[in-house]
Amino acid sequence: MLERCASHMLSKKPPLLQSFLSLVSRRVSHLAQQQYDVIVVGGGHAGTEAAAAAARVGAETLLVTQKINTVGALSCNPSLGGVGKGHLVKEVDALDGLCGRAGDWAGIHFSILNRSKGPAVWGPRAQLDRQRYREFIQSELLSTPGLTVLEGSVEELLVTEPNPEEPGRHRVTGIRLANGSHPISASSVVLTTGTFLSGSLFMGQTTSPGGRIGDAPSSAGLSHTLRERLGLRIGRLRTGTPPRIVKDSVDLSLADLHPPDSHPTPFSFLNTRTRCKPEEQLPCYLTRTNAGVERVVRESLHLNHHIQEDIKGPRYCPSIESRVLRFPGRRHQVWLEPEGVTSDLLYPQGLSMTMPPDIQLRLIREIPAMHRAEIHTPGYGVQYDFVCPTQLSPALQVKSTQGLFLAGQINGTTGYEEAAAQGLWAGVNAARWARAMPPVALSRTESYIGVLIDDLVSRGVTEPYRMFTSRAEFRTYLRPDNADLRLTLKGFEEVGCVSSLRYQEAVRVRDSLQDALAALQALAQSSSKWRKKLPDIRMSENKCTILSGVELLQHNVSFEMLASAFPECLSPYIEFSQRLNIEAVYNLHCDKQKKEMERIQKEENMSLPQDIDYFSLPVSLSQEVREILDRVRPSTLGSAARLQGITPAAVVNLLGYVVHTGQRERIRHRNQPDQKEEKEEEHSARNASLPQ
Amino acid sequence: MLPSVCRGVWRAAVHTLRTSRGAPPCRLLSTCDGVPAGLADADTIFALSSGHGRCGVAVVRVSGPSSATALRRMAGLRCSLPPPRAALLRSITDPQGKEVLDRGLVIWFPAPHSFTGEDSVEFHIHGGTAVITAVLQALGSVPGMRPADAGEFTRRAFQAGKLGLTEVEGLGDLIHAETEAQRRQALRQMSGELGHLYQDWSHKLKRCLAHVEAFIDFSEDELIEDGVLNQVDRSVCNLQAEMERHLKDERKGERLRSGVQVVIAGATNAGKSSLLNKLCQRPAAIVSPIAGTTRDVVETALDIGGFPVLLSDTAGLRDSPDLVEREGVRRALERVEQADLTLVVVDCAHVPADAQQAAAFLQGHLRSVLPTVKQRETAFPADRCLLVLNKTDLLPEDERRTLDEELRQVSGLPPVCLISCHTNEGLQDFLTLLHVRVKTLCGDPLSGAPTLTQARHRAHLQQCVAALAQYKHYRNIDLALAAEGVRLALTSLGRITGRVGAEEILDIIFKDFCIGK
Repeated sequence: MLERCASHMLSKKPPLLQSFLSLVSRRVSHLAQQQYDVIVVGGGHAGTEAAAAAARVGAETLLVTQKINTVGALSCNPSLGGVGKGHLVKEVDALDGLCGRAGDWAGIHFSILNRSKGPAVWGPRAQLDRQRYREFIQSELLSTPGLTVLEGSVEELLVTEPNPEEPGRHRVTGIRLANGSHPISASSVVLTTGTFLSGSLFMGQTTSPGGRIGDAPSSAGLSHTLRERLGLRIGRLRTGTPPRIVKDSVDLSLADLHPPDSHPTPFSFLNTRTRCKPEEQLPCYLTRTNAGVERVVRESLHLNHHIQEDIKGPRYCPSIESRVLRFPGRRHQVWLEPEGVTSDLLYPQGLSMTMPPDIQLRLIREIPAMHRAEIHTPGYGVQYDFVCPTQLSPALQVKSTQGLFLAGQINGTTGYEEAAAQGLWAGVNAARWARAMPPVALSRTESYIGVLIDDLVSRGVTEPYRMFTSRAEFRTYLRPDNADLRLTLKGFEEVGCVSSLRYQEAVRVRDSLQDALAALQALAQSSSKWRKKLPDIRMSENKCTILSGVELLQHNVSFEMLASAFPECLSPYIEFSQRLNIEAVYNLHCDKQKKEMERIQKEENMSLPQDIDYFSLPVSLSQEVREILDRVRPSTLGSAARLQGITPAAVVNLLGYVVHTGQRERIRHRNQPDQKEEKEEEHSARNASLPQ
Repeated sequence: MLPSVCRGVWRAAVHTLRTSRGAPPCRLLSTCDGVPAGLADADTIFALSSGHGRCGVAVVRVSGPSSATALRRMAGLRCSLPPPRAALLRSITDPQGKEVLDRGLVIWFPAPHSFTGEDSVEFHIHGGTAVITAVLQALGSVPGMRPADAGEFTRRAFQAGKLGLTEVEGLGDLIHAETEAQRRQALRQMSGELGHLYQDWSHKLKRCLAHVEAFIDFSEDELIEDGVLNQVDRSVCNLQAEMERHLKDERKGERLRSGVQVVIAGATNAGKSSLLNKLCQRPAAIVSPIAGTTRDVVETALDIGGFPVLLSDTAGLRDSPDLVEREGVRRALERVEQADLTLVVVDCAHVPADAQQAAAFLQGHLRSVLPTVKQRETAFPADRCLLVLNKTDLLPEDERRTLDEELRQVSGLPPVCLISCHTNEGLQDFLTLLHVRVKTLCGDPLSGAPTLTQARHRAHLQQCVAALAQYKHYRNIDLALAAEGVRLALTSLGRITGRVGAEEILDIIFKDFCIGK
């Protein structure tokens, strides 16, 4: 089965762009009469995942993008995954998202980072061919049933006046495009505008409006609606991108060669191989900055507007200017990465800069390998608006506006993987909202996506947010290898965003792993018998100790060795060797964390109503606690408990309140005659305890 | 919920542990006691649940799956457990050193017929500090056991459905009171040498964790030298050795002040030192009519109605240009923050004659003396404060009587006593009230018992040392699991010094390394 679906995924050739465009325009012609369940604004990593996920959940979906041929474009670095980010890619794939399979299709240099540091922190990563990536995403969207793509600029977000009974609460009704056509109505709208929300580009001392070089700026109408009509708190962040270098002008013999893994490991659980053959992969190169680079940065500071602005930039992806200024006298790494099989450009990772183009050229030429290098496109900085994400629910819906979902950089994150993860989850919930299904949330105990969203909505951001494995409390359980077990089953059974094909595969994997562990457990014998069977292994145990196969795996014996010694009972599971080796060791540790995970999950299942007035709540809470709760408005008891300044006593008092109110609701409804309604209310009282 | 496969896999792992030699000993023990696998992960908690001070019998409660283990090992029972809910006289022994700690009653409450709904045990032992401390420490050394968090017994009872909703509403207040008591007790200890030591360890551990995390999250792309980990190895080794030495040190580092902490505070020249001298019936502090006579904290141990009290006199609160006096005021406020009970002394000549004005004046005065009241509470903690209006001898008889009557009718104030340290008028009533307060505070097993705090600290430090051993074990096998050891160590230590969040670790990472990708 695995083989079959893998070949299915890989043999499907993306159609030519031309035919894609014509198909789109054909769809466009019927638009005016149409009404959609979900409209997704933006065609980046968040937007494409959101649109595809909404359609998978069964919503009639429209993706609106400024330029159709930039749908699925990699705006910055030509790579996917890494430590922490690779975890997100695996999870998006486990929920049937696009980016994992796109990475397998477009990858031209695969490597597992952290290979020597333990499977929980392995970082699957790939350099990508930009064109192949875009082609794959576009063809996937095209072949997704119920999904339409439309080129256009959104002029206005349509929302209702707030309900007089619930002041400040709006509902989304649709969008209006810039060309003045009819409004397009929808139950949900997902905004994934990236850096385009009031974006401005910086290079040297010049500033121009826009979110990406070469693209038109988005309309001011959207920003206005969010800020003025909906009264959302907006912040400003900055980021940047390096110049692209002409490959032929670089003397690569002066840089260190970094080859890929000899056997590429695919991202997707559905693939057993990548499109790129092992021998076709391209290498990366490593160079370093020097004193000359530092000098150029210092001399050109007065010409560099972006760097002087007091807007928060990322600490971990700083421009070369801020790296040099913060850590002077060091030789900073610069990676030269291929942009694609046919591309004649290199991407200098680590050289993001915003100085005038002539100085950019001077700077890169200070590095020996680039002493004659030519710049194809100069680097630039971007400043953009983001919506403070504490105003969102764990479903990524704006708390004050029903049906409005946000994902990606608009929420203050950075990175393709972070955007894709949020896009998928926002798309799922937008579709569920449109189809009158209750929202779903992922817990930080079960996924990095849950960690990401929980961090965003309950703590907010002060700088562009990026995923690190150190953010996950349950890192030993949230591994890249078991993302399918953690999410695919739930994704099919509870969320509805996973195809039955993928689900069946995950079920097969789960059952096989269970059977294999049982078989290993059954292989219990004394250490002297083990020694006879496996003469190569060193066993200091005393003769009569009984050891099971699982314990041998914990003592560094590999499953392959056991399978060759006991082919009759273990050979059926040989395809899972690596996973079994990992499971056997890590289960010991996950086990210890289980109780803590259950406690968190219990608290996360108790939701706090959004319209609660914390200042008049008849519960013993200090003024300080009330102020924090009123400011952040946590969605669940769990996220309240994690807020700084919330005491254990306050949590228990809130718990008492939630339980009490839930019970009162139930009693009230029990006295009502309508049986069906009572049942529903009881259900919601138990799960949500109060009206949303 | 977790996907069922994981539960299945877990079950397999738990099963594995039953026979594994390398598994932690607590698992093996709980297995041989026949604890169901599903419960084997829950912590077992213990705490002193009777008061301290002069009491004949102390009750130590244990709850959780390892209760039976604790009972067997501490009461020297080989296999059979005593009949449920029947008292049994046994020698209580230290399971490690095998020395007899005390002779007392043990009662076994199997689940679900116990206060918490879990397996529980009660040890009724003699009420001396040394015995209680020894028993608590012995319990802490049983694998799988840890001191209970504030309100944890009640919380477990609630979760097991043993409490009604009205009782739950009291739970928050209870936890609040207990955490407050623990906080005050911790503050007392943390302001000393021991506190500095723990803070220093916490700081070092944070750096260790930050450097391991940096190596995990960034070393593939960044210039993070391999030397970073060698440095962490050394630090972890040193920390582990230091903590082990500390745990073995019988001298316990510093003298711990035992007893209910009562602090006298107020404006200058209100008669605070006179009150101290009256209470201890000897001139422990210098009294003079000059404002600002007391500049440092004067401390006296007292016995009030049989309960140990540590009485502190503090510098009068006022803005002073004098550096020494300013330091005195800072220390005074620090003491008030740590106090179980604060006696706010006011010169009654300063109280306005009108009742309403007097109430407002006193409330304002309390706010200035009890700085935390302003931040933490909406109302005054009436049980943690007494208002003492001194120098009544300077008021005419009728004015004094009106003031007394009027203040009795005002709400929103802690109890008020009118006294004169000069003539001893009202002093007897004040002493009676103080006695009642101290008695209540002593009934709370958490206030004023440094040995208890010490037992908690010990348990957390032991966990910390064990977690650092995990780092060493996995250092060259699996860095993610090694890092988990440092994380656990920091969590354990964080229970003493305060929680450490992921953001704090990231801050150190970005301060120490230039991360460029």
